[in-house]
Amino acid sequence: MNTHESIRKLLPLAAAGALSQQEQLQVEAHARVCEICRRELDEWSVYASGLRGLPQPSTPETLIARTQARILREREAAAVRWNAFTLCGLAVFSWVASIGFWMLVRELSGGHVEVLGTNLVSAGPWFLVSFAVASITAAATALLVGNRSDAGRVL
Amino acid sequence: MGLFGPELRIPIDMILAASMNPDTFSTHEDSIARLQRGELDALGAVMARYQHRLYRFLHRLLQDPIAADDVFQQTWLRVIEKIGRYDARRQFDAWLFSVARNLAIDYLRLRRSSSLDSPDESGIAPIERLEAGGQSPLEQLLEFERGTVLAAVVAKLPVIHREVLTLRFEEDMKLEEIAEVAGIPISTVKSRLGRALESLRGKLELK
Repeated sequence: MNTHESIRKLLPLAAAGALSQQEQLQVEAHARVCEICRRELDEWSVYASGLRGLPQPSTPETLIARTQARILREREAAAVRWNAFTLCGLAVFSWVASIGFWMLVRELSGGHVEVLGTNLVSAGPWFLVSFAVASITAAATALLVGNRSDAGRVL
Repeated sequence: MGLFGPELRIPIDMILAASMNPDTFSTHEDSIARLQRGELDALGAVMARYQHRLYRFLHRLLQDPIAADDVFQQTWLRVIEKIGRYDARRQFDAWLFSVARNLAIDYLRLRRSSSLDSPDESGIAPIERLEAGGQSPLEQLLEFERGTVLAAVVAKLPVIHREVLTLRFEEDMKLEEIAEVAGIPISTVKSRLGRALESLRGKLELK
């Protein structure tokens, strides 16, 4: 390929400003002495200029407000999912811990721990105490999670 | 009037309001850093800065205002999700546009079973967007016609060509930035840009 042909291939990129400084200088030097390349470079420059001035799409006026509302909605939905998952996990953990602790206390106490005339280690009272503790913990967690999500409303 | 010309009076309530607004003195970099710390109130300023450019880019890629609107919203959802992974040493523009670009490509893949290189329908440019720049009505009309024809031809190019053209000529991005947005080597950006321009000229000459 001769110089003319190799420079001609660079003309669109020259008009796009996408050549290295050295290539750009080569193109400009050749265009000064080659009428065909000069005309073609001018033509490419017209295209480049046209591409810079294309009719602009108008951005919808409420786009930012709608985007912020969507972000808020999706974050709230994600928070609800996460909270439900966390509470389920905590409930399962607390029951497993309660049963494990019950078995341990029974083993260590020989199956009898009397509080206010009731054997606490028998299944019924132990279940009632565990249920009360789990309910209080769940309520406190729900309150904490609720406060945190209110604090997160910053959009 | 003062010694050196008319006095500049700024109402005290304006000064107070400005001083209480956290965005008044914060730079763009501050907003990005705050966003990275999870402070979502910085998002409004960042979105406002990029809304026109990002919407235009998506509009050029998708050739559909409703799709551009939807992908614009998805982009910011993804930005919030991924901002922790953004490296502040990189250009935020290129990172943001690469997020938007990937979502737009996913959208096109879902919408069309055909190749991404298949031509799209042309965009519509309302006549009221004509710029009044001291030209005669006839000159304005001719200018508008030329812009419209060019926009219609660009709209018919494959999406990978539209992408490099809009990033180079409308976003004025360097080849390195385009490479980062499109996830391709600089040499590919160059060859793609050259082919896009050749293709554009070919289609214009057919008109």
